[in-house]
Amino acid sequence: MMKFNPKLSQKLSYLVLFLASTLAIMPVIVIIFIIVKNGMSVISWEFLVSMPKNGMREGGILPAIIGTFVIVMCTIMLTLPTGVCAAVYLNEYARDNTLTRAIKLGIVNLAGVPSVVYGLFGFGIFVMFLKLGVSIISGVLTLSIMELPVIVTTSRNALNSVPYSFREASWALGVGRWQTIRHIVLPNALPGIMTGAVLSIARISGETAPILFTAAAFYAPHLPHSIFDQVMTLPYHLYIISTQIPNMPNNIIFGTALVLLFMILTISFVAIFVRVYFRKHEKW
Amino acid sequence: MVDKIKVEDLSCYYGKKCVLESLNISVVQNEILSIIGPSNSGKTTFLRTLNRMSDLDSIYSRRGDVYLDSASVFDMDMEELRKRIGMLFAMPISFPMSIYENIVYAPKRLGLIFKKSEQDALVEQSLKDAFLWNEVKDRLKSSAMKMSGGQQQRLCIARILAINPEVILFDEPCSGLDPISTARVEESMVELKRKYTIVLVTNNVKQASRVSDRTAFFLMGKIIEIDTTDKLFVSPKKKQTEDYITGRFG
Ligand SMILES: Nc1ncnc2c1ncn2[C@@H]1O[C@H](COP(=O)(O)OP(=O)(O)O)[C@@H](O)[C@H]1O
Ligand SMILES: [Mg+2]
Repeated sequence: MMKFNPKLSQKLSYLVLFLASTLAIMPVIVIIFIIVKNGMSVISWEFLVSMPKNGMREGGILPAIIGTFVIVMCTIMLTLPTGVCAAVYLNEYARDNTLTRAIKLGIVNLAGVPSVVYGLFGFGIFVMFLKLGVSIISGVLTLSIMELPVIVTTSRNALNSVPYSFREASWALGVGRWQTIRHIVLPNALPGIMTGAVLSIARISGETAPILFTAAAFYAPHLPHSIFDQVMTLPYHLYIISTQIPNMPNNIIFGTALVLLFMILTISFVAIFVRVYFRKHEKW
Repeated sequence: MVDKIKVEDLSCYYGKKCVLESLNISVVQNEILSIIGPSNSGKTTFLRTLNRMSDLDSIYSRRGDVYLDSASVFDMDMEELRKRIGMLFAMPISFPMSIYENIVYAPKRLGLIFKKSEQDALVEQSLKDAFLWNEVKDRLKSSAMKMSGGQQQRLCIARILAINPEVILFDEPCSGLDPISTARVEESMVELKRKYTIVLVTNNVKQASRVSDRTAFFLMGKIIEIDTTDKLFVSPKKKQTEDYITGRFG
């Protein structure tokens, strides 16, 4: 047996661990660097607030920004209340039997279904069967179905993190189930629920597959007038200008990517901030 | 002597396992009844049956009856019952809010108080009755979680007093406390006896002898002996009781 010098092996393992973490973060840094370097030149107020021109080779990306914003906001407004209610029911009210256990298992597994499957499902149900057409509403419903299991799961984790003893202490004082949930459980679960919601927003903002067949327009000459209109969205727009349009100026492609990246990073930072803020103020 | 609580032929089960067997016992108005006995003899189960906290457990079942002022607790509305029978847990469980909020929480939810002046008065009175007022009167708005264990336990007592119950159940309230905090909690218990009926489960035999009027000895789901505290400690009738209170028990 060869004997290692303990000092040397200490240094060696440090080096390996350091390299591994560098390896993990390096690609992200490189990607951000490349996108910023190539896209920064087109970023201007003008770029953000004007319509695309000349077959999208010039002008701005306003409709895509608005489209993404509208779809994401509608989706979260639909899924957050529904998801939290479902989580409260499953965690706080539902009896522990085979049916509820099957439902819980189903929800966890649904969160792992690839997004393109949801896209096809939404196309079949909302666009074709319910005849809603390719529209904001179809896209929102599809994304909602995709995101609901995630919201339910994160909300359930947040509810579970509130100690059971708080509930018991409240019941023992004669306070009912709903009042206990409303005044003890939910306020203490809120940070976790909000973090989950913000991360969901970040995730939906970048999704392409579920809206590809349900909501996204290749090009829309005007901004959407109602929820039954098609919309342009940032991820899909990015896909189109980088693959479908000949002679597309590179800096617009990278500029669009930069806007999308900036949006998602900002949202993620908000999530981290919420987490850290509540950690500091956590009281038990 | 008026019976505040009367337990008739009560048996409790978790699944198929019988943890309390044909219990007959009553609690007299304005007394402190201590329950002593080794762990797993069903003391907590007994308390949680009285205020029906056990009913939330899906594998729990029971036979027999419990009367509060001659009305069966199993026919009462659970929330109404728990307002009349308060319960203090072994570990102090303050809510993550201010001292003030902790106390007005339940009265507000139950619709007992509305005006700010009523709330202030209630907070002061409850804290005084729990012997905590002098220590916290200058920091009512600070977080309850920052207090010491003994203070938190007395806050939990104050919180129960604020809903003005008739009976208070204590489940090993001092098991996590130092001797000084324990003394303060005991002091408040003796004082509370004037207004309330108290059932005290304790793993500390000396505590039972210090504060209670009567003591019951539980062993493996049965009442082995119940008598006035003086008699039970001086001349226990059963060998098992004697072994337990003299510390010869396994
Ligand atoms: N929620 C529960 N589920 C299943 N068994 C339980 C539960 N609570 C208590 N028991 C069992 O009931 C018996 C009595 O417990 P307990 O009432 O807590 O006794 P004590 O308070 O005297 O220590 C023990 O054997 C315990 O394992
Ligand atoms: Mg116990």
